[in-house]
Amino acid sequence: MDLSPFEDDNSVSCRLVSEIPEVCKTEDCCLGIDEAGRGPVLGPMVYGICFCPLSRKEELKDLKVADSKTLTEAERENLFEKLDEAKSYVGWALQILSPNTISTCMLRRTKYNLNALSHDTAIDLVQYALDSGVQLKEIYVDTVGPADKYEHKLSQRFPGIQVTVRPKADSLFPVVSAASICAKVARDRVVKGWNFTEDLGEVDTDYGSGYPNDPKTKAWLLKYLDPVFGYPQFVRFSWSTAQTLMDSKAVNVHWDDDEEDGEKAAQRQSNKSMLSYFSVSAGGSTSAPKK
Amino acid sequence: MATKKKRTSNVDNDSWVVIAPGGLENAASLYMLGCGDVMLYEVKAFEDDFHSWFVGQAVQRDGRLIFVTPLDPLFLILPYLIKSGKEGKFQRVDQVVKDEEFPACSRLLSCARTLASLHHIAEEKEVESQMYHRYSQEKTMNWLKKKVERTVIALKKKNVSVGEGVKSSTYVRVKSETDNQEEDFIRYSHGLISEYISEDLSKALLTHLGLPELTSPKETEPPSKKRKLSDKPVEAGEDYTKFNSADFARKPPKKMTAAQKSLAKVDKTGMKPMSSFFSPKVKAEKK
Repeated sequence: MDLSPFEDDNSVSCRLVSEIPEVCKTEDCCLGIDEAGRGPVLGPMVYGICFCPLSRKEELKDLKVADSKTLTEAERENLFEKLDEAKSYVGWALQILSPNTISTCMLRRTKYNLNALSHDTAIDLVQYALDSGVQLKEIYVDTVGPADKYEHKLSQRFPGIQVTVRPKADSLFPVVSAASICAKVARDRVVKGWNFTEDLGEVDTDYGSGYPNDPKTKAWLLKYLDPVFGYPQFVRFSWSTAQTLMDSKAVNVHWDDDEEDGEKAAQRQSNKSMLSYFSVSAGGSTSAPKK
Repeated sequence: MATKKKRTSNVDNDSWVVIAPGGLENAASLYMLGCGDVMLYEVKAFEDDFHSWFVGQAVQRDGRLIFVTPLDPLFLILPYLIKSGKEGKFQRVDQVVKDEEFPACSRLLSCARTLASLHHIAEEKEVESQMYHRYSQEKTMNWLKKKVERTVIALKKKNVSVGEGVKSSTYVRVKSETDNQEEDFIRYSHGLISEYISEDLSKALLTHLGLPELTSPKETEPPSKKRKLSDKPVEAGEDYTKFNSADFARKPPKKMTAAQKSLAKVDKTGMKPMSSFFSPKVKAEKK
C-alpha cells in the first residue's frame, strides 16, 4: 500500500486503489464496504471497499480475515499482506478522508454531517468499482445510521445489485472483513506517520488512541491548543471534545452564522422577550423591561 | 463619516488632526495633514461585523480598514467663513479660521489649494498687498454646483447605480433606464456632497440645482371606519352594564351537568386562578 499520494497533501480527501483483477471484470462479484476511524478526534477516517468473484468468496474465508477490531495491529498487517498476495482475484480501493476534510464538511455553512459524508464516500467507492468494470452483483455494508434506510438508499442508487446492510457485517461477511482490514491498516499507517504541515517543532507523537475518552489524547489536545488557531489539521475541529477545549481555553471567535440561542439573539437585535408583554407591573409603577 | 475619536493633546505635533467639519453631523472628526501641511486628507473607516486582520505574525481583532483620501480644504474652511460672513465685513482669513476648541484648523490655511481657491467661496479685496475675504453664498453655490457636476461624471465613469429604490451601491440594475437617469445622478451626487456641508447649504444647493425637494411619503393612516350618519342620539347597541349589577354577581348556576358537579367537588386548595400565571410577582421580574 503506497500512502505517498495522501502524505503529499494530507489536508484533502485521497483515493488509493489496487489493480483491478481481470477475473473481476468477467465474473459476477461481491463487494464489502467498511470504515475505520469514525470515532477518534484525531486523524483521518478511512473508507474501504474490497471485492472478489462470487465463486471465490470462500477462499477469502480461508485467509482467516476477521473483524479488524478483534485483531492486533501486527495481525492486521499480516492479513493485509495476504490480501495483497491474493491480488489475482481480490481488489480493493480506499478513500482517506483527512481530519481537515471532516472538519470543513461538518462546520461549513450548510452543514454536511458525518453520516451523509460516510454514505457519499461509500457510494463513490462503489461507483468507482463499477466504472472500473467490476461485475458487481452483491454489496455488503456495515451499517451507518438506521440499517433499512441506508439499504434503501444504496439499492435505489445501484439498481440491479443486491444490497445487504447489517450491523456487525464485518464479522459476518469475509468480504467486509477484508475491506475493514484494508481501511484499518491504512488509517494506522497514516496516523503513525502523520506529517504535520504546521511548524510545531519536535512534535510529541504520544497521542494515544485518538479517541476522545483516552486520557493521553486529551492531554495531547491540551498541549497543542493554540489560543488563536486552535489545533493542527490533524485534529477534527468538529468534534465536541476539540470544540469544548477551544471554547474554554482559546480566544473567542465569532462567525456571522454563529447560532445564538434565542435569548442571546433577541438581545443582540434588542428585541423584547415575549414574557415582557405579560408583566404589567403591579401598583402601576412602570419599570422599563430589563435588557 | 470619519472616526470621531477626540484627541486632546499632541494633536499639533503630528499630522493627525481633529477638526469639526461643520457638516451634517458637526461632530469632531479625524483628519490628516500631509507633506508639511500642504495636503489635507480625510480619514474614513470601513467597519463591519465579524472581521479581523492577520497582520504579519499578529491578529488584529476588529477588521477595520482605514481610508485616507484627499479632501478639498475649502469644505472645512467654509463653516468658518459662513460664520464670519454674517458680520458682512471683509476680514483676513487667518482671523476667520480660528478655533479655540480645534486649534489645528488654522493649519488648513497652509494647504496648497486653500488660499488659491478661496475665491470660489468668497469675494476678495486687496488692500496694501493684504488680502481680505468675505463669504459669498452665490459663489459658493456655483462652486458646489461644479462639485456636483464633477461627481456625476465620476459616478457615471464608475457605473454606480443611482436613483430611487437603490439602497446599496453594490446594487446593479439589470436594465438601465435612460429616462430621468440624469436627475437621479444629480440627486445622488448632491447627497454625496451634502455629507460635507451643513444642512442649510445642502437645501440651498438643491434649489440652486433646480431640483424640488423630495417629500418622503407620509405614513398613511388606515382609513377611518365609515360611520353611519343619523340624527338619532348615540346609544350603545348592546348594554353590557346590566352584568355589573349587584344581583348578577356570581350566582351559582342553578342547574349543573353531571360533569360540572363532579368538577365542583374537586379539592381546589392550593390551586391558582388562571390569571395569576400572567402576572408574575414584581420582585421575581427584576433579574
